Amino acid sequence: MKKKLLSVVLASTLALSMIGCGSSAVNGVTESDNTGAGSSDTAQAGGATGAGNSSSDLNIMLETPVESLDPQQATDGTSFEVIADYTDGLMQMDADGQAVYAVAESVDVSDDGLTYTFHLREDANWSNGEAVTAADFVFAWQRAVDPEIASEYSYMLSDIGQIVNAQDIIDGTKDKSELGVTAVDDKTLEVKLNVPVSYFLSLMYFPTFYPVNQAFFESCADTFATSPETTLSNGAFILDDYQPAATTIHLSKNPDYYGADTVKLAGLNYQVIQDSQQALMSYQSGDLDTTLVNGEQVDQVKDDPAFTAIGAGYMWYISPNIQGVEELQNLNIRYAFTMALNREAITADVLKDGSAPTYTAVPMDFAAGPDGSDFSADQEKFSDVCRFDADAALEYWNKGLEELGVSEITITMIHDADDAPIKVAQVVKEQLETTLPGLTVELQQMPKKERVQRMQDGDFELGLTRWGPDYADPMTYLGMWVTNNSNNYGFWSNSEYDAIIAECTTGETAMDAEARWAALYDAEKIVMDEAVIFPLYTQCNAELISTSVSGIEFHPVALNRVYKNATKN
Amino acid sequence: MAASSALKKEPYESENLVAVKKEQYVPVAADFKLKGKTADDFVDTNFASQNFWKEVVARFRRKKSAVFGLIFVLVITFFAFVGPVMNEYTYSGQNLELKNLAPRIPVIEYTGFFDGHENIKTTTGTKTVNYYFEKKLPDTFYWFGSDNFGRDIWTRTWSGAQVSLIIAVAAAIIDMIIGMSYGLISGYFGGKVDMVMQRILEIANGIPRLVIVTLLLLVFKPGMITIIVALMLTEWVGMSRIARAEMLKLKEQEFVLASRTLGASNLHIIFSEVLPNIIGPIITQVMFSIPTAIFTEAFLSFVGLGIPVPRCSLGSLISEGFNSFTTHPYQIIPPIVVMALLMLSFNLVADGLREALDPKLKEM
Amino acid sequence: MKKYVLKRVVTAIFTLLAITLILFILMQLMPGSPFNDEKLNESQKAALYAKYGLDKPIVIQFFHYVINMFKGDLGVSYKISKNTPITQLIASRLPISIGVGFAAVMIGAVVGLLLGLLAAFKRDTVWDTLATIISVIGVSVPSYVFALALSYQFGFKLGWFPMLFSAKDVVGSSVLPSVSLSMFTMASIARFTRAEMIEVLGSDYMLLAESKGLSGNKLVFSHALRNALIPIITVLAPLVVDLMTGSLVVEKIFSIPGVGSLLVNAIQSNDYNVVIALSFIYSAMYIGIMLVVDILYGIIDPRIRVAKEGD
Repeated sequence: MKKKLLSVVLASTLALSMIGCGSSAVNGVTESDNTGAGSSDTAQAGGATGAGNSSSDLNIMLETPVESLDPQQATDGTSFEVIADYTDGLMQMDADGQAVYAVAESVDVSDDGLTYTFHLREDANWSNGEAVTAADFVFAWQRAVDPEIASEYSYMLSDIGQIVNAQDIIDGTKDKSELGVTAVDDKTLEVKLNVPVSYFLSLMYFPTFYPVNQAFFESCADTFATSPETTLSNGAFILDDYQPAATTIHLSKNPDYYGADTVKLAGLNYQVIQDSQQALMSYQSGDLDTTLVNGEQVDQVKDDPAFTAIGAGYMWYISPNIQGVEELQNLNIRYAFTMALNREAITADVLKDGSAPTYTAVPMDFAAGPDGSDFSADQEKFSDVCRFDADAALEYWNKGLEELGVSEITITMIHDADDAPIKVAQVVKEQLETTLPGLTVELQQMPKKERVQRMQDGDFELGLTRWGPDYADPMTYLGMWVTNNSNNYGFWSNSEYDAIIAECTTGETAMDAEARWAALYDAEKIVMDEAVIFPLYTQCNAELISTSVSGIEFHPVALNRVYKNATKN
Repeated sequence: MAASSALKKEPYESENLVAVKKEQYVPVAADFKLKGKTADDFVDTNFASQNFWKEVVARFRRKKSAVFGLIFVLVITFFAFVGPVMNEYTYSGQNLELKNLAPRIPVIEYTGFFDGHENIKTTTGTKTVNYYFEKKLPDTFYWFGSDNFGRDIWTRTWSGAQVSLIIAVAAAIIDMIIGMSYGLISGYFGGKVDMVMQRILEIANGIPRLVIVTLLLLVFKPGMITIIVALMLTEWVGMSRIARAEMLKLKEQEFVLASRTLGASNLHIIFSEVLPNIIGPIITQVMFSIPTAIFTEAFLSFVGLGIPVPRCSLGSLISEGFNSFTTHPYQIIPPIVVMALLMLSFNLVADGLREALDPKLKEM
Repeated sequence: MKKYVLKRVVTAIFTLLAITLILFILMQLMPGSPFNDEKLNESQKAALYAKYGLDKPIVIQFFHYVINMFKGDLGVSYKISKNTPITQLIASRLPISIGVGFAAVMIGAVVGLLLGLLAAFKRDTVWDTLATIISVIGVSVPSYVFALALSYQFGFKLGWFPMLFSAKDVVGSSVLPSVSLSMFTMASIARFTRAEMIEVLGSDYMLLAESKGLSGNKLVFSHALRNALIPIITVLAPLVVDLMTGSLVVEKIFSIPGVGSLLVNAIQSNDYNVVIALSFIYSAMYIGIMLVVDILYGIIDPRIRVAKEGD
């Protein structure tokens, strides 16, 4: 046994030294003939090119299939990512997530902040040769609020974008032609807002705002964006292999793109892989250049130079049903819960994918303030009410029990039947029960749709849920806890809080970036002081990105991955 | 053909028995008035069945693999109920400090096996580690290792086996009762009854099992009872089809006709005359429905609708270990091995029973 | 026989209608809706319901659906592939699932039958033990474990077959999924064949046939196998349908763009139309298979046909 073991170690060390670092194809590279795409592992190991797909195609793993390539219908990250590969909006994100010009080459903002005038590039063209015009945007935006289309992201134009008449059109009281967006001429687009929106430009990279060519759309009848023939590109790549719910998608570089000089990749080759073992093995054999890694596989790859953790933006938290459950109305009990949670252990020992413990109501690393600093960089600012402290938790617990006049509490927590929430829920149960004597936490798992419905209906006690930012501003989180918001699951209500949020959205403070920022802190403090939610962690994805690939841009908001500046050697 | 059918009438009556009976029995006129449950009838049945079951046991014991299988079923059942309390761990007790420890057993560890070391195949090469040494845990023993929450895999494997056994056996028995009765009745009466019953069966079975089971689990609170009910509602169909097919084969035969001529009731014919003749295929089918039940439960675990955490079944343990397959293979091996052994044993027992129950095989 | 088949087809259509109605009712009982995203507000949900006609009473929805169905329109997907006609979704996926499933059934049935026959004829020898072991492993280990093990060994380590389904190499990339899927069928068939063959071989008419001087192939094929096939077909038919549903986990592992993975996704996202359409198709296939089985019965065992036609 020992001897055999030694030889295995020797052999693998030998293999390692022969192949050298930097190559990911260490295990099981064989001499046998692979067919088709499988041969790229040998190509990679030998540093050669050729075979199968074009050598500088980037091979990307997707977790889920695309739901829709219609920019006004899509809602999920995968769809957004692919749409953005071949479509440019007015603005795009740079590597740091800041909005920079794309189809727009300049913008004039009126002094009152209510009128935005975009000037479009002259050389922005669709792949059928037609120019991208302001009318394409008007058509697309009208679609987004058209009740007949019933776009799920119409609120990007109404609640968030505050475009004139958007809400009335969605409600069906006004015609879509009355939307506050007009094509002044072919290359000038004017947008009118109800109130100033400080982050309006950063919304423009959101695919809901991407243009659609009306003539082309009408020529496709009902089949728009269901095949390469029924999509039109104005971006870095052109879709050339796709069908609805496909498991493979291919795009090639768009030679007529105005920024074609900077696009290094010959194409993108997407492969949907829902099983993490298969994904890792495909990566190791060289069929993928980048893949997601499950937390359980991290032990296997953590020393790999290709291993990295990418912020995914989602904040996971536990929402107590404050209105509906008597025990949870007690603030001491809520403090006891939030202080009994060992968030470090959850992220380091259970998730292991780089997720960061979070102690604030707004997660870190997505919203930069007027001075460029992260809104939630300081995770200890609410440590008086949100930290891991078993002794304090017990103290609050006993005080709470006394106030309630009981010695035991049984509480049910609902959570999604997915990998990460199942794991987290089990640890949370264990941590709460161990720290707080007399507490029993029952877990109930269910599909996400049902869990969301039950939480929105108030039919729950504790709910493990998450929220992903829609735009790079703390308001995407803080807006949730105003009275009667459908995502204010605990039906918590605080008039002072509502006032601050209203002031920051439509009041005078909205115009003053510094003051607004300070007011948002005040609002966050109220949420934390009242323990409206128990923040847990900000999700990261553990990824392997082949060392031969560089320049993929990752963002927690809107477009999770952008490839137009990526290179592959 | 006629001769063979006649012989098939009472397959458990060996020729000796028939001879004995002939000697003892003097036909009288009253015989032709027999209507089911007369005293004579009871005597015959008891006499025959006593010997029949004795012989079954004897035949079963002669089949070594069957005895071996039975022992294994008993051993696994024993551990499924006793295993979880054999050490200090519980199936849900976590210790994140002690997660992902390889198997280590006292005494045996000195042989180099089960000493807590593991070879982790990383993308940067294979490394051998022993976390028990690294974390300085001289007195900690996880016999089958610990999982990613630091829970004892020994305890979880056996408590998972317990859950799987309960679900599978309960579902199989209920299936058998419902499916067999349904199939026999449907096949026996034929005509309109068969027609209506088969249409109902087709509707019940025509909806994909996954959809029904999923819906049931969504509508009701997930748990063991719901899973058993869901399995029960979908698994009886196969059984009833076997029973019906066998009934179609047998009902045209002379011994059924004879019984009917003698005035036996339909129920008597179905359950006393035909049923004993098809016990072989039925038992085989029950043994098939046990793995099916375990598999369906495992499948449900795989799509996130299985037994709710932190409880576990063999299926949910396999799904949990799935992602660690290449990293910590020892986490998925115990539930797979126990599941395979359980199935092997059930199959061997089934084979043995089947041959023991069917005396014709003896003649070969 | 013709009249019998016709009668069966007519009842099959009514069965399918009944199933559609039941599915509709079940969908209504299902908690949640396709539009239950936390980002949606009430007015948006109402707009979506109105758009897809989900705000109408269930009876009207049902009749609307059935009428469209006869026109060949199964509606559109609400969620997993938004607004795509389901007929289009299924048209590209069904052949792939059927292809993989058919390959699995063929491998399973042929290998299983051979193993079963081998075990029956060489009873209590090493061959019997070997066949038993293979079939026991087949029924003891879930197909997704096979999928993982095969893909690790033959896809990753040895590199003989692709690990993921590829439209460019359909045959090569279907090998691992088909084999993983076939294991259960193969094992079930092997076990059943063995059991049935042993019973048939021990039966009196076989003894009679043998004593009449029949031997070899004729004895095996025209007497033994023919009688053993009835129960085997009964087992095979539901296995085929199970395999189609069961394939969804394997489809997920190998990234096969088939209907099985579509069904799971649809159920999990409450995509009613897709669930109903796929369930309907599964049901239609199942009922079709049952029809074939009944007809096969008649061919193999004329006594059953006589009994049925007499009704």
